[in-house]
Amino acid sequence: MAVSTIYSTQALNSTHFLTSSSSSKQVFLYRRQPQTNRRFNTLITCSQETIVIGLAADSGCGKSTFMRRLTSVFGGAAKPPKGGNPDSNTLISDTTTVICLDDYHSLDRYGRKEQKVTALDPRANDFDLMYEQVKALKSGVAVEKPIYNHVTGLLDAPELIQPPKILVIEGLHPMFDERVRDLLDFSIYLDISNEVKFAWKIQRDMAERGHSLESIKASIEARKPDFDAFIDPQKQYADAVIEVLPTQLIPDDNEGKVLRVRLIMKEGVKYFSPVYLFDEGSTISWIPCGRKLTCSYPGIKFNYEPDSYFDHEVSVLEMDGQFDRLDELIYVESHLSNLSTKFYGEVTQQMLKHADFPGSNNGTGLFQTIVGLKIRDLYEQLIANKATARAEAKA
Amino acid sequence: MTTIAASGLSVATPRVVVVPAVRVSAPVRLNYPWKLGSMNRMVVVVKATSEGGISDKVEKSIQEAKETCADDPVSGECVAAWDEVEELSAAASHARDKKKAGVSDPLEEYCSDNPETDECRTYDN
Repeated sequence: MAVSTIYSTQALNSTHFLTSSSSSKQVFLYRRQPQTNRRFNTLITCSQETIVIGLAADSGCGKSTFMRRLTSVFGGAAKPPKGGNPDSNTLISDTTTVICLDDYHSLDRYGRKEQKVTALDPRANDFDLMYEQVKALKSGVAVEKPIYNHVTGLLDAPELIQPPKILVIEGLHPMFDERVRDLLDFSIYLDISNEVKFAWKIQRDMAERGHSLESIKASIEARKPDFDAFIDPQKQYADAVIEVLPTQLIPDDNEGKVLRVRLIMKEGVKYFSPVYLFDEGSTISWIPCGRKLTCSYPGIKFNYEPDSYFDHEVSVLEMDGQFDRLDELIYVESHLSNLSTKFYGEVTQQMLKHADFPGSNNGTGLFQTIVGLKIRDLYEQLIANKATARAEAKA
Repeated sequence: MTTIAASGLSVATPRVVVVPAVRVSAPVRLNYPWKLGSMNRMVVVVKATSEGGISDKVEKSIQEAKETCADDPVSGECVAAWDEVEELSAAASHARDKKKAGVSDPLEEYCSDNPETDECRTYDN
């Protein structure tokens, strides 16, 4: 890294040096330790562009499929921090850091049992700390973030999180607190309908000893009031909502294997241009299977229309059905517009890269990948914008 | 001194999982019974694999939730108990996925983090 100028500031302790490199806009702070030769470098990146993405989801944290797809779009595999707590919920890749908001629980599992609150309840979460730390990371300052251990249910010792280029906060309440909401550059809400949630939980938990259909149902029912009161209202603030519903192609389907997925995109969001089918702002119903493309049962059906969602103008792209062949995927991709791909077939390539992930053959995987590309596009636009603003300021 | 969590060992092949407090030294520490009398007494905690442990927790929590809710189905306790069941079920399913994803051989794990150490050096030429 080229160091262009060296300043020694009077304001700081005389053992501190300040070097700055104008090309990369990073400040290295060196403190000379008289005893040891170790240099403490505190990297303060003044104008590091950190964008913050919020993802509201009811499932666990950080290990979810959406996160893995998202980090994969940016390149690099996301892994838990090396050498740290093995039960850490954080995922770090070259460009992205995913933070689990469960780490901001103010009450651990025993505390919640005592106070008789669920994890969904805002009383169990420390929003002040969440706001402070997200703000710090956004401005380029590293933080010591607590760890909530899902295995033991206790709050472990904090871990150091360096400010990344892209910070994703995933959990139950990313958009709950207004201050945190204002820090988000883009927000996504994953809305799973009750029937699909039930079907998925059955698949997940039936293998577990002790669980029965009744216990799974009881567990969902018990959490519903808190969920509807605290989590669901966050939908209205999201820039993109991915709704997962049971399919309409198979009558009386209750397996939850074929899904109808709707991508609800808010209009007028800065740097975010919604995906559309054929003609922006019109209403289109499209079944790609026909003469050029043969699909197996139940086939694929697309819908695109403008709509109103919680008093916002939105565009809704909907996919019902499943892909079972590569050419179906590429056919569909070639007909969608405004995907923010860098080359033809990028969506297909991303989907194939993770063909083993759940949802890779239906709208969930498709829309998650598309949202990932949209976020990448947003990030690049933001960077370009800041760069031009800086250039203009200099001139 | 070895403590064995007997209740958790429902799996046919109990695995000795050593939980090191700090991951600096070699990952595997052996318990030499003939050295017990000497100064270097090591404490090895034998746990069932984490998956077995969580499964038990899930089962226990479901039982507790059923009991709590038998008295009053809409009380805070009942809701909190089922929430705990949900949290543990999620953790159990993650553990299962992790296990399926990659059978973590402690040496492989250690070497991916520290390829330059003596144990992990590979000589290809």
